[in-house]
Amino acid sequence: MKNISLIEGKAVLWFVLICILLCTNLILAKKSVIPAAKIKAGLSLRKENLHQVQIKKITGTVTDNQGQLPGVTVFIKGKSVTVITDFDGKYVIDASSTDTLVFSFMGYKTIEVPVNGNTTINMRLQEDATALQEVKVNAGYYSVKESERTGSIARITSKDIERQPVTNVLASMQGRMAGVDIIQDGGTAGGGFQIKIRGRNSIRADGNEPLFVIDGVPYSSESIGSPGTSTAMASQMSPLNSINPADIESIEVLKDADATAIYGSRGANGVVLISTKKGKAGKTKFSISATTGVGTATRFVALMNTDQYLAMRRQGYANDGVPFGATAYDVNGTWDQSRSTNWQKELLGGSALIQNIQASVSGGSSTTNYLLSGNYRTEGTVLPADFRYNKGAVHYSMNHVSDNSKFRIQFGANYTTQDNLQAATDLTLTAKYLAPNAPALYDADGRINWENNTFDNPIATLQGIFCSKTNDLVSNLQLSYQLGGGFEVKTNFGFTDLQQSENRILPSTIYNPAYAVGSDNSVLYMNNTKRKSWIIEPQLRWQRDFGKSSLDVLIGGTKQQQTTERLFQSGIGFTNNSLITNFASATTKNILNSDTFLYRYYAYFGRLNYIYDEKYIVNVTGRKDGSSRFGPGRQFATFGAVGAAWIFSKESFVSENSFLSYGKFRMSYGITGNDQIGDYQFYDTYAATGANYQGITGLQPTRLYNADFGWETNRKLEGAIETGFFKDQIFLTASYYSNRSSDQLVGIPMPATTGFSSLTSNLDATVQNNGFEFTLRTVNFSKGNFNWSTNFTYSASRNTLLSFPGLAGSTSATRYVIGQPLDIAKLYHLTGVNSNSGVYEFEDVTGDGLISIADKQTLVDLSPKFFGGLQNQFQYKNWQLDFLIQFVKKQAYDYISNVPGGTPYNQSTNLTDAWQKVGDQSLHQLNTAGLNSMATVAYNRYAESDAVVTDGSYVRLKNVYLSYDLPLKMLKEVNCKLFVQGQNILTFTPYRGGDPEFRFSGFLPPLRVISGGMTLTF
Amino acid sequence: MKTNNILFLAQQLYRSCCTLLLLLLLMSGSSCDDFVTVSLPNSQLTGTTVFESSLTANAAIAQVYIQLRDAGILTGLSTGSPSTLALYADETQDYTTGLTLPTYQNALTADNATVASLWNISYSQIYKANSILEGVTNSTALPETTRSQLKGEALFIRALVHFYLGNIYGAVPYVTKTDYEINRHLPRVPLQEVYKAVAQDLEAATFLIAEDYSTPERVRPNKMTVQALLARTYLYMGLNAEASNAASAVLNSSLYVWEPNLDKIFLKNSTTTIWQFAPPSSGRNSYEGGTFIFVSGPPPSTALRNDFIASFELGDQRKTSWTKAVLKGSSTWYHSFKYKQRSTTASSQEYSIVFRLAEQYLIRAEARAKQGDLIGAKEDLNKIRNTAGLSNTTAVTESTLLDEVIKQRRFEFFTEYGHRFFDLKRSGTINAVLSVSKPGWNATDVLWPIPINELNANPNLLPQNLGY
Repeated sequence: MKNISLIEGKAVLWFVLICILLCTNLILAKKSVIPAAKIKAGLSLRKENLHQVQIKKITGTVTDNQGQLPGVTVFIKGKSVTVITDFDGKYVIDASSTDTLVFSFMGYKTIEVPVNGNTTINMRLQEDATALQEVKVNAGYYSVKESERTGSIARITSKDIERQPVTNVLASMQGRMAGVDIIQDGGTAGGGFQIKIRGRNSIRADGNEPLFVIDGVPYSSESIGSPGTSTAMASQMSPLNSINPADIESIEVLKDADATAIYGSRGANGVVLISTKKGKAGKTKFSISATTGVGTATRFVALMNTDQYLAMRRQGYANDGVPFGATAYDVNGTWDQSRSTNWQKELLGGSALIQNIQASVSGGSSTTNYLLSGNYRTEGTVLPADFRYNKGAVHYSMNHVSDNSKFRIQFGANYTTQDNLQAATDLTLTAKYLAPNAPALYDADGRINWENNTFDNPIATLQGIFCSKTNDLVSNLQLSYQLGGGFEVKTNFGFTDLQQSENRILPSTIYNPAYAVGSDNSVLYMNNTKRKSWIIEPQLRWQRDFGKSSLDVLIGGTKQQQTTERLFQSGIGFTNNSLITNFASATTKNILNSDTFLYRYYAYFGRLNYIYDEKYIVNVTGRKDGSSRFGPGRQFATFGAVGAAWIFSKESFVSENSFLSYGKFRMSYGITGNDQIGDYQFYDTYAATGANYQGITGLQPTRLYNADFGWETNRKLEGAIETGFFKDQIFLTASYYSNRSSDQLVGIPMPATTGFSSLTSNLDATVQNNGFEFTLRTVNFSKGNFNWSTNFTYSASRNTLLSFPGLAGSTSATRYVIGQPLDIAKLYHLTGVNSNSGVYEFEDVTGDGLISIADKQTLVDLSPKFFGGLQNQFQYKNWQLDFLIQFVKKQAYDYISNVPGGTPYNQSTNLTDAWQKVGDQSLHQLNTAGLNSMATVAYNRYAESDAVVTDGSYVRLKNVYLSYDLPLKMLKEVNCKLFVQGQNILTFTPYRGGDPEFRFSGFLPPLRVISGGMTLTF
Repeated sequence: MKTNNILFLAQQLYRSCCTLLLLLLLMSGSSCDDFVTVSLPNSQLTGTTVFESSLTANAAIAQVYIQLRDAGILTGLSTGSPSTLALYADETQDYTTGLTLPTYQNALTADNATVASLWNISYSQIYKANSILEGVTNSTALPETTRSQLKGEALFIRALVHFYLGNIYGAVPYVTKTDYEINRHLPRVPLQEVYKAVAQDLEAATFLIAEDYSTPERVRPNKMTVQALLARTYLYMGLNAEASNAASAVLNSSLYVWEPNLDKIFLKNSTTTIWQFAPPSSGRNSYEGGTFIFVSGPPPSTALRNDFIASFELGDQRKTSWTKAVLKGSSTWYHSFKYKQRSTTASSQEYSIVFRLAEQYLIRAEARAKQGDLIGAKEDLNKIRNTAGLSNTTAVTESTLLDEVIKQRRFEFFTEYGHRFFDLKRSGTINAVLSVSKPGWNATDVLWPIPINELNANPNLLPQNLGY
């Protein structure tokens, strides 16, 4: 308590200090006006007056090949007078006849025109591939011109993002960025994603998340849901759902040491910077966009039909030499053997209606602009029930710059509310297991059919529901002031507030009435989580040009705090099932978990950037970090990196008219860290369990005690070449990286005799990720009305466990091999089916005559070999077509049922060729009803053999977007765009186990979404 | 002009310095060391604090009882031994099509989830008991009576869980410390050594734990509970005199009064109860009720085997009192009905009973018979038979008496903590009996496999039990 009030006191103190800081600067600024004015008065008054005399109003229209261009920046060279063209491409600017006007617009060549006494200057701008090199790329604490960056930064913009009918920002990045591997965990709305930037650095499976930063505010991507409530999802709800993709201006992914070292201990796994949209100066602009579409499951597994299934079952009993069991309802005549249902279609084959509406208003003057947008989205379900996911988002952005352009204020806020109602159980596995002749789901009267207690009807489980309500605010404020002399002081403030309440509701009606389970056994699980964080980052920047060289220095500090409160409760027994959502009505109420986590972080950082002759660039970054996640004496560490670039195309040996329009070598090396270990891990504690014994709430030890662990360190090395040919019409980047993670922060697996399954500690193991990334951007055709451009990315990587002292004698010996990737599996080698016994046989590697775990020596690499995307954009008059093909080369576990053929579970059609009689040469072993323990044991080994790993590669038409700008002759002011878009449209794969994109099998695959809509702008 | 420029620069520099100073001030609201040193959340206590007060120390041991009740070998839920070992032996039949099939079919494998979870949870319970033992030993603040009571209970829990582990998995590590550097490399010790260590812990506990129950309702073990387990352990070790004496100590205690009414034995205030688990909250009843009872057929999970029902001696009241028939059409199924409440009641009526007096009679009967005291054996045996509504036993020889003991144990303790499975093993009849009634039975099935992950994590546990 005392600590908290102390902190609040300090917060107030900071606030006061900030006010003082601002006031001082303003006062100083005011004061400085007098001497500065005096200097000016004495020295340059006459000159100024001379110009003022000749100032005139200059007007004009800016156009391109297709018509007027709104939003073009027009300014006077060397002065701060800037205007922007209006909706009709018109501008008005005050300039003297000796001034030079500069017309600049992203994606177009910048043109300078001397006024020369003209009062009307019309300008036709030419599109420019090289202009992409002029784009300022967000690097977090600073931004850098694309052509001058020394680090490895991948980028996508709103153009790509808004063409995809997706609701999670990670979905919009899939296949578009080199080195960024993203897997969707499942098709249930609101579900999670896995993102890995340049491979798996940490042995801890959950220690590989990058740092997410939204408008300068770190945003924890760690799910706040509970595995106790969100049971139908492969992973819990992703907090990143809280960012509306339509509100994103750009996403930058920082990959190498040069770009990430300034994020120090949190940069090891890369940094994802999300910048939201800002208002633009100009006329008030309204935009409204509505989309409607449907989602369906992508692929199903090929399973046996009724005849094949029943034949397998009968064989099973025949092979075991026993009659059909009393409960073998599928084959013993209890169930109709002529029924045939494709359960995957029946249970997962529906269409989910997806609707989205986005509206925004923006505008402003040259000093102040704003943007306000709102979004509402609703997604249905493919399950045969009434589930839905609703999301509403509001985004606001305001920018202001003082008249003297010295003081700037930027404020942004995103508020999202999500309401998700899903099944508490994922039916995907059930749909695969169910006997194809299982009875109908409903009887003739429309009631749930239990088939006289012989059928555990899966449809009843859908009455168990998961509902989650999430409200999330992410806000940021940036104040900056130009002190003069190249100094700029800036402070970022950020605040996030995430609140989620999740319920899992299991009414007694999910059970077969034969269990006679009444509402006194209905259960309600409730998980409430609140996560708040604030951050303050004061910074001082100094920039100066010295003749040919320029220097940019930044120093700053970070203070951040995040508190998470979690309350997980259960209520059991209700007098009536209709009261089940009312916790107060529960007969028994248990608090299963009540926790508060406090995470604090404190750091200093700096950057020094030196450019000589626009050719040679050196960039030095560093950070000293302190984190509350480590014990006394282990809290602080220093990280840093050096990056350098040489723009060789500017050397004299490259002639002006060379086919080589741009060329750059860059290299970087540095150290970053990883602190994803959770809070309080260094304490030796007992925690309350919430369980009750005779009125006493239990206390139990929380972990094996070890206070002596610290950061995981990650050393990154990268070299790259970036080249543009034919005025950058062909632009090629190739990079090679080699990253090494050591001091692995892991839960070292422990045998159960220690009381726990793992011990948190630094393991002296080293993991290396090296790889090659290649991007190619070409403008294939750009003349008149037709434009065609292509983007291609390719990433190949290799993950290697370099060292692991004591691996052989450790618990990890069965999972890892030195010199091999982390994502390998050590498996039995299937030699075939014994033609006499009909049972699977495996290679006896040890030669001891027994098959034991020591024989699991066949290595299978499950990490992706290479992946990438090919994007093509076509534009013809008012038509636009854009499509992205994603490809992944990997191996994956095939779908297997995990029970031997012959048992009452449906199987893949592969198993129709099971061994039947002595002498058969079959791929699959004999069927058993479950009594042949030799076959069961062999099957379990088969499930852990190389036979179940198959080619999981795929080529997928990830995204298609087709739009048409409707020419509205009557309403010139209105721009109307009609479009259709699709996600996961086509998949080509040799994989037979369903959809090849999954992290955990057995969950609903990602959906194929096709939608259409219209955008109106006026 | 030069002066002016220098003045201007100096001014800029001054302002920058001021700003920098302010920035530093902003950052240093507290020293950075303080800022990143966080205190414990309000839901946690340090290990040492827990054992500075009786209240928190009792909460620590309460958690072990909670874990024993809710998970692992002793839970009455379907994952515990009452259900699992009944399926594994010849007491119940599986009607599910799922996870329990390998158990029922005696087709367990080293990667089976039940095999792993019973092992893991048991050692987690043992760790907690050891943690309490060490915490209490190092504590100076606790009163002496509390210290010895808690130490006694912790020793008892450690012995109890190891006893079951040994009977299920055979040779197992005997864990007496919390130090993971030692525990991660522990080898297995032979079953007889496990029994010895169990007996040693229990003998030590008898000197520490109070004779009277420390709380109402017999939900915390007392000295007699320790004696009861000691009697069973001695019996399993073949130390018949010691077993007989320990059982007598319990039977002679004034705390227990024989209950002739079969319907009252499993009530929460039964006078034959030695130790039972408190339910999770008031109104809740034993987990066994929910696990075994079903109201319509076919049975949704398990039912008593027909050959078991058919083997009840004519007139055995336990068949009518402790089992119940469910009819449908021409089919009849039976379920265990010792516990009659399958869900909550206004106030709790039945708790899961872990030790009850009847066992002590049967332990002494067996121990007496083996020592040649056939009359004494008969006396104890008839106590059980008469209560079940049966006449005195006709057995006269040692071997027929022992057969009768095993038989009575079968009908007395069915669906209770795997008694039947252990008795079949002890009497050496398991292969003869189960190879008839269980088609998947192999001689090597007498021991469960050591979980595969454990063998991987600690190679000192090798070799695996035969047959896996």
